[in-house]
Amino acid sequence: MKSVKDVERKEYYLFSPFLRIFHWIMASQIVILFVTGLLITKPMNVATTEPTFSITSMDLVRDIHFTAAFIFCVAFILRIYGFIINKGDRLFPRFWEGHFYSETVDVALHYMLLKPHHAPFLRNPLARMSYAGLYVLVAIEILTGFAMYFMTSPSTTGGILFGWVNTILGSEMMTHYVHHYVAWFIILFAIGHLYMVIRAEFMEGESEVSSMFSGKKVLAHTPKDANELE
Amino acid sequence: MDKRESLWEAYLKRGFSRRSFLKGCVALTSLMGLSTDMLSKVVEAAETKPLPVVVWIHGHECTGCDESFIRSASPLASDIVLTNIALEYDHLLSAACGAPFEAHLDEVINKHNGQYILAVEGAVATKDSGVYCMSGGHTFTHLLSKAAKGAAAIIAYGSCAAYGGIQAASPNPTGSAGISNFVGGKPVVNVPGCPPIPEVMTGVVMHVALFGTVPPLDGDGRPKQFYGNRIHDTCYRRPFFDAGMFAETYDDAGSKAGWCLYKLGCRGPETYNSCGNLRWWQGMSYPIQSGAACIGCSNKNFWDEAPFSDRLPKYGKLGDADKIGVGLGVLTAAGVGAHAVASIIQRNRRDNLMEEEHKD
Repeated sequence: MKSVKDVERKEYYLFSPFLRIFHWIMASQIVILFVTGLLITKPMNVATTEPTFSITSMDLVRDIHFTAAFIFCVAFILRIYGFIINKGDRLFPRFWEGHFYSETVDVALHYMLLKPHHAPFLRNPLARMSYAGLYVLVAIEILTGFAMYFMTSPSTTGGILFGWVNTILGSEMMTHYVHHYVAWFIILFAIGHLYMVIRAEFMEGESEVSSMFSGKKVLAHTPKDANELE
Repeated sequence: MDKRESLWEAYLKRGFSRRSFLKGCVALTSLMGLSTDMLSKVVEAAETKPLPVVVWIHGHECTGCDESFIRSASPLASDIVLTNIALEYDHLLSAACGAPFEAHLDEVINKHNGQYILAVEGAVATKDSGVYCMSGGHTFTHLLSKAAKGAAAIIAYGSCAAYGGIQAASPNPTGSAGISNFVGGKPVVNVPGCPPIPEVMTGVVMHVALFGTVPPLDGDGRPKQFYGNRIHDTCYRRPFFDAGMFAETYDDAGSKAGWCLYKLGCRGPETYNSCGNLRWWQGMSYPIQSGAACIGCSNKNFWDEAPFSDRLPKYGKLGDADKIGVGLGVLTAAGVGAHAVASIIQRNRRDNLMEEEHKD
């Protein structure tokens, strides 16, 4: 293998700053939310004989959790703005287009190591589906989270806006369970996501990783979804 | 009892003074969870409103709510039953029985059609046409719909009447359910609890009796003044929770020192009731105060949310969600690791092929 290759590649500007900033806020807040969330379910043992001033303060852990949750939700507004102004930010899987299904099978076969390649994509259909799935998980977390948060005073606006979640799930304890379980699924997604991104970078060299900083991807072949940017 | 007397008239008849009547009204006002500026309205209602006729029926249940009710101390349950309401029919407290008693029920329902308060304890057994709960030779569903038809308002006492109760626990062999679907759209006040706090039971019936309307209800049909807060948010042990001071077992130093029972599965953070502020037996205590974690007995489905001694349910040898989550995480990491190795092999093969093609 040669260390310097002369390959012609085309540069595509995909992700607006709004999506990128949102992505990193979301990623960091998920880590914070997950760790503090586990600590809220199972608080640390009191380590000192005089626990009043210990760092195990549940109040503090909860405040960090709630603050991170609000930052997370505010960052979502950036995401929505990016979606409006920039076509490259629109990652929803195109279920309504026939070729979506054959392309998904193509990518899936490659991921199952049954095909050496898959067709070039700017944002491949399986990845898009995983993001749609993640957004569903995130929506569940936001709804169940606020349903618990605002029920300190059920008659207020927040309680009325989110109280129905507890009714649908049957009880508030169930809301806690759902919130907790879905958090684990988000972490499983994160492991898979991290791997797939690094793998794509490694296999195709299309700057998958740096695109989340620069917003650009470089491809040697014309991607099948290039027309979506026009 | 053709002309029904008001509370004031009942006091006069018994030779009580105006002063003791007003004192009674003050007690009633705070008992109903109302602010003291409502006092004049309470006095007015007590002077003019005729005592309400109450029909109290029992379904699929243990009558534990009655046990709670008769222990109400302010006002005394005996005062409620003998002075403040006209209790015309009650399976448990009535001396009469048999056919005349059932005939009396029909008489009361016809005579006070559209005016009486119907108090219901116990769930409705719905399976197999309701044969699992019979009363007076009929199914309870029959009795309930008959009594509900002419009721002005319905009070569902206890978690059974409100949500189905313990007999509705999975697999629910009798098909037990709350009464709300069997009362023909009549307004229902849910007073859940297993049992509800005595003073909450008397408070709700007095509110309906005096004002002729149901108290302000939350989205679940519960009176806001008694079910407006979580036990957790009114719990005297809350500061221990905030400071991170928890009892780990029921016999450790934290437990003895009265620290928070959250880690022992306390359902206070999910439970709406007045245990934290009203407490039980004239404010003497409540489960958490006596050192037992709350089991959330006023919650819908609390009976299916075992274990009561832990925050998360356990799945046999697999453990709880956190243990399974860590396991799945490790498995996923191992999976992507193996996939990475396979991908490298695949890529090298692909590159070699391409290079050979290039040479050709």
